[in-house]
Amino acid sequence: MAIALERSAVVPQRAKRHRIWRGLGDALTYLGLATALVFFLGPFFWILTTSLKGNEDFFAFPPVWIPAEPSLKHYVGLFTRSSGARYFTNSMVISTLSMISALVVSLPTAYSIARWRFGGGLLSIFLLVLRMLPAIALIIPIYIVYRTLGITNNYLGLVVVYTVLYIPFAVWLLVGFLRDFPLEIEEAAMIDGCSRLRALAQVIVPIIAPGMAVVALFSFIATWNEFLFAIVLTGIETKTMMVLVTSFTSGGTDMFYGEASASVVLGVLPAFAVAFMLQRYLVKGLALGGTKG
Amino acid sequence: MKRFWSATSVAFLLGGLVMLGWLALPGPARSARPYEGTTLRTVVNAEFVKYSLSLVEGDLYDKLGIKLEIEVIPGDAFVAKTLLEFNSGQSPWDLVMFGPSNMPDYGRHFEPLDPWIQKLKLDFGMDDIVPVFAKVMLRHQGKLVSMPYDGDIHIMYWNKVAFDRPENKQKFKAKYKYDLQPPKTWRQWDDAAEFFHGWGWDGTQAKLFGAGASYKPSGSGYSYHWWRPRFFSYGGQYFDANMKPLINTAAGLRALEEMVKTMPYYPPGVLLFESEEPKTMLVKGEVPLLYSWTSTGKRVGNATESVIVGKAGFGLVPGADIDGKIVNRPDITPGRAFGVSKYSKKIEATMKALEFISLPEQSLKIVMDAKTIMDPWRVSHLKSEKFRKLFPDADKYLDAIQASFPYLVPDPVIPAADEYQRKLSFEITEALAKRKSPKEALDSAAREWDKITERRGPEKQKAAWAEKSAEMKSLGIEYHADWAAKAK
Amino acid sequence: MRIPALALKRKQWEPFAFASPAMVLIAFVIVFPLAYSFYLSFQNFDLSVGPEHEFVGLKNYTEGIFRDPRFLGSVWNTAVIIAPSLVLELLLGLGIAMLLSRVLHGRPIITALLAIPAMVSPVMAAMAWRMMFGVKYGAINNLGRQLGILDVYFDWFSSPFISIVAVVLVEVWHNTPFMMLVLLAGLQSIPQELYEAARVDGANPWQRFWSITLPLLKFTMVVGVMIRLIDLTKLFGLIFVLTYGGPGGSTETVAFTTYLAGFKDFRMSYAAALSYVIVGGVLILTLLFFWMQRVREARAA
Repeated sequence: MAIALERSAVVPQRAKRHRIWRGLGDALTYLGLATALVFFLGPFFWILTTSLKGNEDFFAFPPVWIPAEPSLKHYVGLFTRSSGARYFTNSMVISTLSMISALVVSLPTAYSIARWRFGGGLLSIFLLVLRMLPAIALIIPIYIVYRTLGITNNYLGLVVVYTVLYIPFAVWLLVGFLRDFPLEIEEAAMIDGCSRLRALAQVIVPIIAPGMAVVALFSFIATWNEFLFAIVLTGIETKTMMVLVTSFTSGGTDMFYGEASASVVLGVLPAFAVAFMLQRYLVKGLALGGTKG
Repeated sequence: MKRFWSATSVAFLLGGLVMLGWLALPGPARSARPYEGTTLRTVVNAEFVKYSLSLVEGDLYDKLGIKLEIEVIPGDAFVAKTLLEFNSGQSPWDLVMFGPSNMPDYGRHFEPLDPWIQKLKLDFGMDDIVPVFAKVMLRHQGKLVSMPYDGDIHIMYWNKVAFDRPENKQKFKAKYKYDLQPPKTWRQWDDAAEFFHGWGWDGTQAKLFGAGASYKPSGSGYSYHWWRPRFFSYGGQYFDANMKPLINTAAGLRALEEMVKTMPYYPPGVLLFESEEPKTMLVKGEVPLLYSWTSTGKRVGNATESVIVGKAGFGLVPGADIDGKIVNRPDITPGRAFGVSKYSKKIEATMKALEFISLPEQSLKIVMDAKTIMDPWRVSHLKSEKFRKLFPDADKYLDAIQASFPYLVPDPVIPAADEYQRKLSFEITEALAKRKSPKEALDSAAREWDKITERRGPEKQKAAWAEKSAEMKSLGIEYHADWAAKAK
Repeated sequence: MRIPALALKRKQWEPFAFASPAMVLIAFVIVFPLAYSFYLSFQNFDLSVGPEHEFVGLKNYTEGIFRDPRFLGSVWNTAVIIAPSLVLELLLGLGIAMLLSRVLHGRPIITALLAIPAMVSPVMAAMAWRMMFGVKYGAINNLGRQLGILDVYFDWFSSPFISIVAVVLVEVWHNTPFMMLVLLAGLQSIPQELYEAARVDGANPWQRFWSITLPLLKFTMVVGVMIRLIDLTKLFGLIFVLTYGGPGGSTETVAFTTYLAGFKDFRMSYAAALSYVIVGGVLILTLLFFWMQRVREARAA
């Protein structure tokens, strides 16, 4: 930048032209981004307003872009008639538990890989194959195992599956964070008499906490979004939000239009929350591996 | 020994006293809510079915003390998930909803009703069940295992605004050389669809459509239900005696070719319409003509959404004119029934609950509600004065249902019935989407059918089909190779 | 520089002990079920027949590869959906990432907002778009009508071609943000000095893009495309909600056909066999991709 300024001082005419181009470029940049924002956020806007409309507004023409009298009755309907509260709570509980357990299980593994190169290149191959595998190849055998153990329709069952599905990605991210961690600090702690596990828990964890938060939030979202396992491995007490949404997709869609859109709004809330919380880490984290388990 | 006897007699004495005390209690207190504290787990396939049960849950608790805990498994995964549970030899549910065309898949997991009818003196009002439903919905290998919940058949609906408007009548007569009237045959149906498509037949400037249909290749296959009544009225049948598919015969081809040809007269989106979309268009006055499930009538009569209350006609699904006689072959579509899981630990209470929700007056509440999509299945439902006055012309609507009963064609309920139907449905939509010619599509469906038969054991399938085709013959349905050519 | 030996020194068992919880869980939830479903793929397990099943050899595999026109058709459909999606996601993702890298104020918040679609589940994305596409009451047709460019009755699923366009549109909406983030990370890792040096040499923006950005971003692009390619072969939730494979079978993907075989035809063994056919195909595709990459690099060197 300094060089550019110096040069523009020498050749003022060129600098002026440069500035015009630059201004135009900025304008186009923001215009382009604004267009992108409209495209990528438009559907959310439509769903939100639909969920707040009265039944008579769905089919109105010209369309009701913003309801004059927003009403929450579809949300009320969702929570009273369709046990929306139960589904929402289930999703929350399962996602939170999976998030915690994914972290707890992945951290030592990542440590083992980062410090001692445990497993060599196996991790990346495993990661690749796991990513290729359609869920349907796993679902029936897992179901059969679970049936034998009696943990279908149980938080534990889903939490275990989600934890495992998320381990490779979590480990991959955590290895990155741990490799950057200065060995000297860890050694100092161990010289002071810390065991390795305590050094991990009390010295390393607090320092890489922001990185762990990134891993945790991505895991939360990935779990929240999953639905095929959620249909097969759950029962009446453990159904999740995604299952509720798909139960609106056929048959009575027309009659429960408002409630269907309300359920979508609730279903995408965590994505918004996580995106805002992770603003600065998105590029670093999501770029490494994606959120779709 | 002595001690044993004295202990026994004391026990008997005490027992007798307790019994006496129990008998001495005032009657009502004892018989009220005999199953107090029992919660039955129920599984259904959609939110609106759960809603329908809520209409009887209150009484069920008041009378029997039974509460229902209802699980909704989204329709698409419903059968696979419930079969997975059943096949593991246990089931988390007591009362199970299912589609009767899946009877061969489910039947062996249900508790036969007859022993319990004797034991508990249950009364399912068997004589009050519409005979054709009793025939095709309830039995597995000869044993009674379920009760109907939703008696799905197809009837025809039309908008009188379109058919009674003098200008329309004139224009139609000029173009087609016969009088405009609610169609009796497929040719009349197709003419009407062509005639009404694309203009404001209600006298407005609106762009309206020719007729409604559901062509989505979903569930057990919607498009199939729009091909089948044509196919059967043209003399079709599923298989011959040797399990050779008859779907790609002249009858099948003619039916599919007509559907493909008339595609332009159906509303945009029809290729992915499920059951509800065309009904909405009918009640909003956008299509003049639709044949669909009987529940449509309740939406037609529901003034909060319908603009054609009192302006709708109800009748038989069109047929074919064979030698001057019209042959109608409307569908019995899957419908819904309830069975009692034989793995349940509360079979007795579940039997009582099943009896209760099937009682004429309880089931009437369900089939009368405009939001349930559940359809009448008892003779008394159709005769109910309350139902017949529910909305203008409700009596004509119920009569149209009644009039359809003698002609109904059931699903091919043999093992893998669902798969046969879905494979055919898929090929029909392939032809409708113009990815295959009707001939290619039906030939390919026939090949798929052969593959299924071969996989499931030709002999086994043949035996099951022999039984089923005899049953269909008793309903008057047989293969007629010559009808397709002479049908008018 | 002193190597901190103590932190690296380990007892023999320690690496295993640290990794063991994850390993046990993976064995339990992935390795064992995989082995079991591999075993099942040689059986004839059918839910509607019952829990019993027997060995049928390679029958499921030969049926899938040679005798099932619908599955083979779905391979073609998947390719038809994947190709334009990948190209559009790459181009759009690159474009937006480059715009974002020019922005000085509020970049994190704009990035976050643009990233949201990628964090929503496919089912949700498809539900939202179903309401966007709806005939008569969908947002797109209504907007089109108000702008006078679209009939309100325009049917986004009227023909195989237009349905594929619609599916690709939703897929691009859903996953371009992911590509954008990957490429933005790549862009940020390019040293600014290179651009300044090029500017000193009088290179115009276009030349800078071709000679600096693109070559240095190539690896990131390859990784991004690879990940999307693998994910797209599993395209399911979107199709499930948006088109259910229709009209006809024009949008039936391999993952969807496999789902139908397992969950609608109840042929669990056949579905398992199909999944392994898919995994095999994707594996071959990936290896081919890497091999081509290597050949090209070797030639360039």
